[in-house]
Amino acid sequence: MKRTRFAAIAMIAIMALTLGALSSCGGQPKMTDTVTVWCWDPNFNLYAMKEAVAVYQKANPGVKVEIVDMAQDIEAKIISGLQAGGAGLPDIALFQDFRIEQFLSDYPDAFVDLKAEGVDYSQFAPYKVGPMTVGGKVYGIPFDTGSTGLWLRTDYMKEAGIDPDAYLGKNLTWSEVIALGEKIKAKTGKPLLAYQSDNFDMLRIVVQSTGGQFFKDDGSLNLRSEAFKKSLALFKELNDKGLLYQVVGWSDWINAINSDTSAGFLNAIWMVGSVKSRPENAGKYMVLPTPLIEGVPGAANASNNGGSSWYVFLSSKNKARAVDLLKSVWATATPDNLEFYNKILKDAGAMGTFLPSQSSSNYKAGDDFFYKGQALSKDFASWMANVPVLKYTPNYVPMRDAVAHATLNYFQGKLATIDEAIAAAETEYKQVTGK
Amino acid sequence: MKQKASFQRYLNRFGWFCVLPSVILFGVFMLYPILSSLYYVTRRWKGMSNTFIGLGNFIRMAQDKVFLSALGNNFLFMVVQIPLMVFLALVLAVILNQGIRRWKGAFRLAIFLPAVTSLVVVSVLFRVLLQENGMLNNVLLKAHLITQPIGWLNDAAWAKVTIILAMTWRWTGYNMVFFLVGLQSIDPQIYEAAEVDGASKTRQFFTITIPLLIPVILFSVVTSTSGTMQLFDEPNILTWQGGPANATMTTALYIYRQAFFINADFGYATAMSYVVVLISGIFAFAQMRLLGDRGNS
Repeated sequence: MKRTRFAAIAMIAIMALTLGALSSCGGQPKMTDTVTVWCWDPNFNLYAMKEAVAVYQKANPGVKVEIVDMAQDIEAKIISGLQAGGAGLPDIALFQDFRIEQFLSDYPDAFVDLKAEGVDYSQFAPYKVGPMTVGGKVYGIPFDTGSTGLWLRTDYMKEAGIDPDAYLGKNLTWSEVIALGEKIKAKTGKPLLAYQSDNFDMLRIVVQSTGGQFFKDDGSLNLRSEAFKKSLALFKELNDKGLLYQVVGWSDWINAINSDTSAGFLNAIWMVGSVKSRPENAGKYMVLPTPLIEGVPGAANASNNGGSSWYVFLSSKNKARAVDLLKSVWATATPDNLEFYNKILKDAGAMGTFLPSQSSSNYKAGDDFFYKGQALSKDFASWMANVPVLKYTPNYVPMRDAVAHATLNYFQGKLATIDEAIAAAETEYKQVTGK
Repeated sequence: MKQKASFQRYLNRFGWFCVLPSVILFGVFMLYPILSSLYYVTRRWKGMSNTFIGLGNFIRMAQDKVFLSALGNNFLFMVVQIPLMVFLALVLAVILNQGIRRWKGAFRLAIFLPAVTSLVVVSVLFRVLLQENGMLNNVLLKAHLITQPIGWLNDAAWAKVTIILAMTWRWTGYNMVFFLVGLQSIDPQIYEAAEVDGASKTRQFFTITIPLLIPVILFSVVTSTSGTMQLFDEPNILTWQGGPANATMTTALYIYRQAFFINADFGYATAMSYVVVLISGIFAFAQMRLLGDRGNS
């Protein structure tokens, strides 16, 4: 007998039950002053929140904050809790920016309107505030940026007889990058970019840099755009020229980067932590602005990948405290708070999107870990200002999956042309969403 | 007489009192969810709101290629993996039962161990081994068994092979234990008689061991079938969310993703669960009729 894995079926059953049972006992005030936070990634999000709590506890010594690492399945657990009318949910949770619109549309009465609580959103990067805004209400506290760049190994460039200094700080086009990649590959045998073949992120980075959108204004799919077609064609070219080192799975991708398999990768600032986790990488990497696709109007040498924000559940029994924690540390420009932002940037590569924090010292300082002490944070912050805004909509996840699947099949030759790939993605999206 | 009747009534009432907790628990945790799921099935859910769509979920399902191919994958895994595993388990059981004299316990443990190991933990290792530049491909290339690295996780067909191998790795030992118990209940005199008649070991295996083990094989096949219909862990973790490009998507995984990732559409998820349960039921029934009759004759 196989281990009975009734996950879905049983959870639905249990939920049906708790729906009725627990809605009757909500709303009783709890006397202990403890705030619970759910997030993931101990070295990044958990770490940042811990530092924020330390600042908060200076002024509020009696408050306890319990930060829980939910790793995988955090969204699934939150959905179960929301279906059960808030049972078992924490006070605060971290959501990826691309996921939150789905939650705000499916569960319109689940989150606290923080604008009504007095948070000043003019102090945050506008592209972060967009996805958390519904009507006149704004629901989250923006956390980190996913400003992207092209990470290159200068040691392999030198090995291939290329002077990294000729590229340092330059805005490149993709055709220049491909030429560079071919030279490196010919001399060192290293493919230019480590690429997670089952993942959508790199394609998204390129499409967003062109200013392209996956959705139209009315929320319907928008894959037949020039921007998307050109991005897909670029990927196919990279793939066919052997410039992608392909791995399956996220941790395997990180592994690939830290085992000298490629001459670089395309991803966001939060990769600083993973790169720094390997001492041998010291002095080797430089980061260039995200390359540009030629001939697409509105394209920029900047893009974004990832980034999350904090939200307070309306079901929280300690709402006032939870709101206060987020507001008084994450959204108020006191010297202590700015130092907090400064510290998490240096230690974890977590670059906040709270604009006043961007004048702090670590935003300007050079970083000796990188080639010629590149002022990485300063560069990423300056690119962040040019990031074209991407619309997520509540259907981002099925779109992401459908496009990733079609792209893989296109790479492997199961879909012959870009138009076929687009049609396949549209069909899967339609069937999975039932629209 | 009268007294006895009232005592009988007391016993009756006491009996009901004793089973009451389990009846209540059964009602709350089994009966109520099953009944309320009938309500879910007719609705399209979107988070907290839902609308009545009658049989709409079933019509949608019939047109949903992801669901249909997931169902196809379930059937494929069933048809290929179960016979493979049952045969392998049988052979291993016979070898452990007769062929090996020393370290029997250690072998038994080694073969059973995968069944009690968490796949979540093991899959981390598996994924490293199975990458295109992973150890398995390197060993095969060095041994000149293959000329091109195999996309164990990246190629649609090979990923299915990976799932089948992983399932076999994990469950062969588990089923072997049943066969070992079954083997020990076979009278050794039968084998002695066959030996005297000059039957070879292979002949003995096919004409004595297998027919006498039919009830155990039936049990193993039926439970494996329902297990395969619920296959979830391997495609979710090993080939990552049914990848590459849904090539290893199974119904259980798709149901989970529909409910908790893609749409929060619990109506559609419940409707799919109904179909899966129905199919599992039909299979179990058919297998019992087919193999059960032969076992009795």
